[in-house]
Amino acid sequence: MDDLQFRRSILADPKTRDDAINAALKSDPAKQKFVQETESLDSKIAQAMNIPVPEDLANKLILRQTLASHQQQKGKTRVRLAMAASVALVMGLTANFMLFSNTYKNLADYAIAHVNHEAAHFSNTDQPKVTLASLNEKMSAFKGSFASTFGTLIFADYCRFDGNKSLHLVFQGKSSPVNVFILPDDQDIEFVANFENSKLQGNSLHFNHSNIIVVGDKDEPIAQWQERVNKSITWSI
Amino acid sequence: MATKQVRYEALVKALHADLYRYAYWLCHDKHIAEDLVQETFLRAWRALDSLKDEKAAKSWLITILRRENARRFERKRFEMSEYEEATITDVGATSNEQEIENHWLREKIAQMPEEYREPLVLQVIGGFSGEEIASLLSLNKNTVMTRLFRARNQLKEAVDDEPKLRGLHNG
Repeated sequence: MDDLQFRRSILADPKTRDDAINAALKSDPAKQKFVQETESLDSKIAQAMNIPVPEDLANKLILRQTLASHQQQKGKTRVRLAMAASVALVMGLTANFMLFSNTYKNLADYAIAHVNHEAAHFSNTDQPKVTLASLNEKMSAFKGSFASTFGTLIFADYCRFDGNKSLHLVFQGKSSPVNVFILPDDQDIEFVANFENSKLQGNSLHFNHSNIIVVGDKDEPIAQWQERVNKSITWSI
Repeated sequence: MATKQVRYEALVKALHADLYRYAYWLCHDKHIAEDLVQETFLRAWRALDSLKDEKAAKSWLITILRRENARRFERKRFEMSEYEEATITDVGATSNEQEIENHWLREKIAQMPEEYREPLVLQVIGGFSGEEIASLLSLNKNTVMTRLFRARNQLKEAVDDEPKLRGLHNG
């Protein structure tokens, strides 16, 4: 290894050592001195290059990243919140639709379903418990009143009739209770004058702002009941 | 999330000083160097999952920083390679002889052509081998070794001349 090549490799990388360099170092004290000088130069260079780093730089870097990812996190949270809100809204609308929309297409279906649902609560032998006065008190919500009782009234109370407040009256019938519904006129539900299924039959009467539906079993003279209701009821304006 | 944070903080603590010094020798400005390092680490955070080998972290960060530095020139075109006296850290006022010598040598390093300085900074501060510097700078190894030789040779000559300059300064 000639001197120039030796100097070139040492100056290019003072730490470099291979067989040729080691051999050259052993045989030549001048080369050893050159390496020492270069190493000392290198340590000066390293010292000079080691400019002071701002003390708080590491903390700044961590802080900035934390803020940046917090910002990102906030963005994500906002998106998630928006998604949760959308889901909640859809669920709310669905629930609203399912609970409060008109499940039955017409009065007849609903009336029959309502009677069937509550059939177990009433028996034809129940004692009459409702006076005319309390019946009329309830009727006032529908702007109507009865002049007289026209049968044995065993139950009278407000009911939800497919989402509408209605008055449900139960009378003693021939063999099974007769149900009378008084409900406000509702545009959403189709009015059906006469209806029946295998057991029950019914009749609806339409007044100014109310419908009155009578439902009873097949043996019951529904038309007669309807007639009695019609006669005894008076509507206030 | 926590592990990513821990990795990141370890990376910052281990490498921010070297990266800052490297940035400083690229741009000769404390504030720009700090900005570059901040930008580099922010990008590093976003891409941290792509860093598989922790040993490669330093060269990975240096690559990001070089790209950031290049971007700086795309944004506003002004020549920074020209050495400006005012931007060099002035430590003369409160320092001892060692500091004065460092300062003097710093000026010499700053005056060196960029193409010589950068490999030298990578070798001395970064501790990279010739091959690694070659791959970082997209040069071949012989070119890098030649530049390293010339860089050191220039500084050596400058240092050899130093006593005369000292004599002049000290009157």
